[in-house]
Amino acid sequence: MPDLSLSVTVNGRTLHRTVPPHLRLLDLLREDLHLTGSKEGCGAGECGTCSVFVDGVLLKSCLVPAAKVDGADVETVESLGPRGALSVVQRAFHKAGASQCGYCIPGMVMAATAALRSNPRLGDEEIKERLGGNICRCTGYQKIFDAVALARDVLCGVRPASALDEEELKDGSFIGTSVRRLDAPSKVTGALRYAGDMTLPGMLHVKVLRSPHAHAVIRSLDTSEAEAMDGVAAIVTAADVPGKDGFGVFVRDQPVMARGKVRYVGEAIAAVAAEDLVTATRALAKIKVAYEILPGVFDPDAALMPGAPVLHDYAADNLVKHIPIRKGDVEAGFAAADVIIEECFETQQVEHAYLEPEAGLAYVDPDGVVTVHSPSQNITHHRHMLSDILALPINKVRMIMSPVGGGFGGKEDMIYQGMLALLAMKTGQPVRLVFTREESVSTTAKRHSARISYRMGLARDGRITASEIRAVYDGGAYGMSTEGVIRKGAILAGGPYAIPNVKIDTYGVYTNNTPSGAFRSFGSLQTQFATESMLDMAAERLGLDPFELRRRNAMRAGDTTHTQQRLDSASLLDVLAGAEGAARWERGAPVVRGAVRGDLAGEGTRPPCRLGARFAAPVPEAQAEEVA
Amino acid sequence: MARKRGRGMAAGWYGIARTASIDRAGTWVELDDGGTAKVVTGVTEIGEGILTVLAQIAAEELGIRPEDVTVGDNDTARVPEAAHAGATRQTYMIGNSVALACREARARLFDEMAAHWGTDAASLRAHNGTLRAEGTNLKCAMREAVDICKKRGVVPVGAASFTAHHTGLDAADGSGRPWQAYVFGCQVAEVEVDTVTGEVQVLGVWAAHDVGRAVNPKGVEGQIEGGVVQALGQGLMEHYQTVDGHTVTPGFAKYILPTALDVPQVTCVIVEDPDPIGPLGVKGIGEPAMVPTIPAVMNAIYDAIGVRITTLPATPESIVAALGRKRQAETAAQARAQ
Repeated sequence: MPDLSLSVTVNGRTLHRTVPPHLRLLDLLREDLHLTGSKEGCGAGECGTCSVFVDGVLLKSCLVPAAKVDGADVETVESLGPRGALSVVQRAFHKAGASQCGYCIPGMVMAATAALRSNPRLGDEEIKERLGGNICRCTGYQKIFDAVALARDVLCGVRPASALDEEELKDGSFIGTSVRRLDAPSKVTGALRYAGDMTLPGMLHVKVLRSPHAHAVIRSLDTSEAEAMDGVAAIVTAADVPGKDGFGVFVRDQPVMARGKVRYVGEAIAAVAAEDLVTATRALAKIKVAYEILPGVFDPDAALMPGAPVLHDYAADNLVKHIPIRKGDVEAGFAAADVIIEECFETQQVEHAYLEPEAGLAYVDPDGVVTVHSPSQNITHHRHMLSDILALPINKVRMIMSPVGGGFGGKEDMIYQGMLALLAMKTGQPVRLVFTREESVSTTAKRHSARISYRMGLARDGRITASEIRAVYDGGAYGMSTEGVIRKGAILAGGPYAIPNVKIDTYGVYTNNTPSGAFRSFGSLQTQFATESMLDMAAERLGLDPFELRRRNAMRAGDTTHTQQRLDSASLLDVLAGAEGAARWERGAPVVRGAVRGDLAGEGTRPPCRLGARFAAPVPEAQAEEVA
Repeated sequence: MARKRGRGMAAGWYGIARTASIDRAGTWVELDDGGTAKVVTGVTEIGEGILTVLAQIAAEELGIRPEDVTVGDNDTARVPEAAHAGATRQTYMIGNSVALACREARARLFDEMAAHWGTDAASLRAHNGTLRAEGTNLKCAMREAVDICKKRGVVPVGAASFTAHHTGLDAADGSGRPWQAYVFGCQVAEVEVDTVTGEVQVLGVWAAHDVGRAVNPKGVEGQIEGGVVQALGQGLMEHYQTVDGHTVTPGFAKYILPTALDVPQVTCVIVEDPDPIGPLGVKGIGEPAMVPTIPAVMNAIYDAIGVRITTLPATPESIVAALGRKRQAETAAQARAQ
């Protein structure tokens, strides 16, 4: 198909371009016009980070072919405020604390602006409906709703423009005052550049060849035909690693690219640097890999069985780590119990789903320092590992943490920075890699799934006499943060309760699943879910209010933890009182009493969502009167 | 009634900073021309608001304003080690490190200004851009103070390292001191369960969390609200699935995330039980905010419909299936009774 010519007005400036037919409006804006306020989050119209106005209509620019905007008027987030100034919506986002990582925020600001343009007096429920096409992973949306309501009220004259200003100092101190975020203006305007927004002259584009098999030996790997292609600058494989190949947070068991064997679907095998992404993608198809497929193991309990397929030579039992915790005598504790409760729990693998997919830019500076910009959550450790991998002195490796568009633990692993460094060294040119959403979801670390068996003994008065917990975590193909995850999972497993007799065992296991790694709350979410479920089951059996049961067992200052550490302070009783009071909790045992509770549907709840019924909801009356 | 409501609660705890290993963070500070400051340390924003928090801490300690603070961060070749952006360690480790470094830079400035004014350095107070000597009418802008200090031949700089003295766990019984600061949290959830479709809507969450000391209360709320919603995603809808190692949920059409229409109203209760060890009393909130949400929601589902969900996520399909099993069990029990 031949290239297409188009004229389009972007932010008031008319442009004439000849574009390839596959070019999307988002590419035209970002790569040609460097309007990087429109972000790419999914490439499939599902997340809204690329939202723009085309002839005044809110559209997702990743779904719009560039040729389709011929003759149209396009507005991006960069057009909203006059240079250096912020629109009312942007100021409201700043004031409300609506931006966290900021990656979804330009799209949110566009969606909010569209909502207010179409209905300047939209109600609180309609705000939610109008933002329904934009995903935010950081904020929980509350402060975004606050921001849109604030902008609406200021624009309608219900609240004065000064409502957008900085608050007074609380007690004369900056500590304890909700100072507006200093980085928010750069986020609400889209001015902040994440790694995937950065370009350098002569920059090459990188694509990664990934394993289609979960477990296989690589019999041969031939990159010669791909390397000979016009536009391909270099290809790297495990053979290009000059130093000690291996990364990982606790055990360096993962090579920069597969070394003789692949252990999960999506594992990197080779990386291509080419003049453009199309060439790099075509080159991947020319790399020849011969595999000998091995049996895989996909269940952690099966992986622990004798005779299971073995992933790593150093761990013949597929065990990453076992963490035991022992305190007191659990059998004596169960013997003393009036009630014993047993249950099994299972939690699933979870994706971090930060809106910014992994991206990085690397180059070798004039002093020979290998420099990598990436949204890494741990530049200190990455520098140590990369220095060993590249066999360079540590001061010849420089890691720069670009703004992180959401991390949640998922950007602690050095899964692609090594490839970028090798390509920058091999080509002598800047190289940039941006993951697709599918690559990000399928190949990066997840929250560990866990299988937890739990036994808890309690006396009639509610005191826990013994807890025995066994949790098996699926670590997937590489160690990453598994050891730390199961350690934290073990330490916190018993919950914040003074229990005399405790036996806890957590296991991290290798399988051929997508690797699991660090994820916000790091192994303890799984075990504490089980503990807090067990306690409600116990409260029902004992006829006790669940707050009261927890109070009777609460760890207090002076108590020792399950790891036998004396606590000098403990605020559990304070937070129990705080939540109980705020929720106006009606006391009683958890005996399926929802139908007869008197504390439901009060302050602090939203109306249930009944799709389609909400656009009719008028602006709250008090506000409407004030406007009038 | 097809739609049933219920409430549940759950508590939780968490350790601050790196687990079962010593943790440390370094900072360099310069009180700069114009009464501004450069604070240089090795991590950057991952969205939690740490740059603003560090600027607030530096402003308070140095006696200037947050907008006068430039945080130079994120570059292993230009800044001291502050290690990773995770483990709920940023406010605790780096915040305390910044405070200590600022105190050193401030002391250098105060010594020069005390000599310049002929007063005792202990009487000097700097706040919001102004330096005063208590009990006198001596005062000047911090801009002038820095200028005077430099003309006396001293650049007011400071450096500090903050350490969390954690120990490893015993290999046999796990005993040890994995953290020096602990936080606690408790949440109540209110749900509505549609017994026909199995859909669970979380309508309200009340979340009380100890953060030590809230440097930026709105930022703390943002962490709690975001943590609650992320946990709600895992509790009710998110499920990364593979078949023989092949991902079958590779995009947001298959991997379902909470949207604006799925989220409860969240009421935050910030509890401040200051850390007795660090200079600021701060602890943290990033990760612990997620911990109580899922069990609180599952306990609320039980309160509403009498079904105990032990396998996550509690999707509409799994709720319908669990209700079916409950009905079968009840029918069987009735049959036995007759």
